[in-house]
Amino acid sequence: MIQNLPVGRQGSKLEIQNLLDPMENVSPLIKYFIEQGVPLDTVILLLILPIVVTLIAFFRQVIGIKAFGIYTPAIVTFAFLAIPQLRYGVLIFCVVILVGMLLRFALKGLRILYLPRVAITLSIIAFSILILLSVGGAMQRTGLAAVSIFPILIMITIVEKFVAAQIEKGNRAAVILAIETLIISLVGYYLASWPALIKGIVAFPWMILITIPINIFLGKWDGLRLNEYIRFREVLKNLK
Amino acid sequence: MLEMLEIFKNGNKLLGMNARNLDYIRPYNRKRAKRLADDKILSKRMLKRGGIPVPKLLAKIKSVEELEDFDWTSLPSSFALKPNRGYGGGGILVVYGRKKPSRKDILKCEEGEIPQPVWVKSDGKTITVDDIKNHILNILDGAFSLANMPDIAFFEERLTLLKLFKPYAYKGIPDIRVIVFNRIPVMAMLRLPTKESGGKANLQQGGIGVGIDLATGVTTTAVLGKGNIIDYVPGTRMLLSGIKIPYWKEMLLLAVKAQEVSGMGFLGADVAIDRERGPVFLEINARPGLSIQVANLSGLKERLERIKGLKIKTAARGVRVGRDLFGGEVEEEVEEISGRKVIGTIEKIKLIGRNNKTVELEAKIDTGAGFTSIDTDLAEQLGFEDTVREYQKIESTYSDIIHLSKKERWSIYKHIPHLESTVVVNSASGSTYRPTIKITVVMDGVIIPTKVTLINRAHLKYPIIIGKRNLKKFLIDVSK
Repeated sequence: MIQNLPVGRQGSKLEIQNLLDPMENVSPLIKYFIEQGVPLDTVILLLILPIVVTLIAFFRQVIGIKAFGIYTPAIVTFAFLAIPQLRYGVLIFCVVILVGMLLRFALKGLRILYLPRVAITLSIIAFSILILLSVGGAMQRTGLAAVSIFPILIMITIVEKFVAAQIEKGNRAAVILAIETLIISLVGYYLASWPALIKGIVAFPWMILITIPINIFLGKWDGLRLNEYIRFREVLKNLK
Repeated sequence: MLEMLEIFKNGNKLLGMNARNLDYIRPYNRKRAKRLADDKILSKRMLKRGGIPVPKLLAKIKSVEELEDFDWTSLPSSFALKPNRGYGGGGILVVYGRKKPSRKDILKCEEGEIPQPVWVKSDGKTITVDDIKNHILNILDGAFSLANMPDIAFFEERLTLLKLFKPYAYKGIPDIRVIVFNRIPVMAMLRLPTKESGGKANLQQGGIGVGIDLATGVTTTAVLGKGNIIDYVPGTRMLLSGIKIPYWKEMLLLAVKAQEVSGMGFLGADVAIDRERGPVFLEINARPGLSIQVANLSGLKERLERIKGLKIKTAARGVRVGRDLFGGEVEEEVEEISGRKVIGTIEKIKLIGRNNKTVELEAKIDTGAGFTSIDTDLAEQLGFEDTVREYQKIESTYSDIIHLSKKERWSIYKHIPHLESTVVVNSASGSTYRPTIKITVVMDGVIIPTKVTLINRAHLKYPIIIGKRNLKKFLIDVSK
């Protein structure tokens, strides 16, 4: 059953079966899940999720990188993991945000309500991605066209968060939030595809529970965020 | 390395997002109170009931039917149209005057019908009833409200710009943000709308924030947008520091009263000044921004922690505590620049007389007097009993001796012990001829050995006035 992992495609960082070939150090708990028919990659991804979301919470509370909440960077991280080549994931993300930004200006004159506006934006982004994939195919970039549909859909739907941020906080702030989302997702991607971490989870799945005390600590952390040291640099210089 | 440690230590004095949300908003601002702050019409009513002046509510429109039935001629020539649950200044429409109907408009109308009014916006463009109707439809649909909830539109009296602020503000009305905690004003800034902010005073939109010294109401440092320190209004030579905000004490009082009414423990109060009405309360903010710390080059957390748990009974007392605790930056700065001390009109001083006899008391600062004068009783306390006794024996008045030569006059006084000299003093109550003695005055830490004139001041409130001759090292602040 380990041989039929859908994520273990060529080129993907998440080649779990390779890591587990010797079947050494597999926790009895993991073995139990697998015996019950839960695919191994599902087990690993579900156990990595707490780590990714804790990372996002850490970025917000301690570093001060906001991104679009917790859901968006988490889901983009998993979309990246599900795409064989990271650069195509990043490319699709950038195209979605770029088209979303341009459409804001195009649709401004229409003065229409929020949901219809998001619907139009989503439709046009869907067309744009279709064009992107076919252009990729024409340029012999078969990897691009081979990206499965669910990660693509996930990336398209995050534009709603982007449009909402544009309306509430303005264009500049929305673009900054999008870049922050990309940064967190990339860090999350590299963390989640770090072989040592996956090996560790397989060997000691209970380890995941330490994310709970970490989050309790983060939730009570009232010190300055790292970016606030920059924001308030002039004040800090003046305090005696 | 040590410098890094220092920075992290100083970071403790600043209020960051985490601490604001966790330590102040969550424990001190209940949900119900926060909802009140988000509902402009409701908070306006509450504030008004609490005796706080607010912009007058002219009319509100809750539904499309109400919009259709609305009597447009009932509106004044200038007003502001706002969404009830708007945020960040979105969806606000301000008209500055009504356009006179042209002949054509009148001719178009049926006999006996009044033409529909037409208004003028800040950019000079006209706006018709149909335009306003369209805008209100958008407001009702929730185009400007949080989470696009259906909303109410309301018309409000337009505030007029104070002359003082005219050169500093681009369109719009500047306002003053005061952070209030535990009935004490903690920090304040003047917010100026700029071209970039589209006439809105919001810092996030690119407005200017100028720190204000809490004690004096004088502006200090200015910050543009979220972090750049500036000296002048961009593109002009208008210096942003040193502006004296009028009605300062009243505004602080309004801010504290609004906190009492709102039921929130920690808030940002926005007050504007109307040319006719004076201070007018704009709105309460349950989640005040943190850039005010940059505008004041000072940390909020340090200040908040100092007043946590203080029992403040009245708003006036809270204002006094805030001004005493957190004011004074400007004063120190003025003292630094001028090399002189800033004192009030009444100042605590110490006098040193003969044999190091000292008296501490309050003195009146009198820039109309040349010499410092002290009461005869006070002179006795300072060890000049003999001098006073002999002086009081002399009965000759000013008119008796004015025609005498200097030498002859001196001969009348010269036997008095410890006498320094004699002088003519012209005062409001007529001219007098007075002896002087030598003492030392210590005022605000400055030691001044000086001659002072002797006079009977028993009928006056202060036994000593400090005259111009001894004030060269001081600046006098009459509001102190």
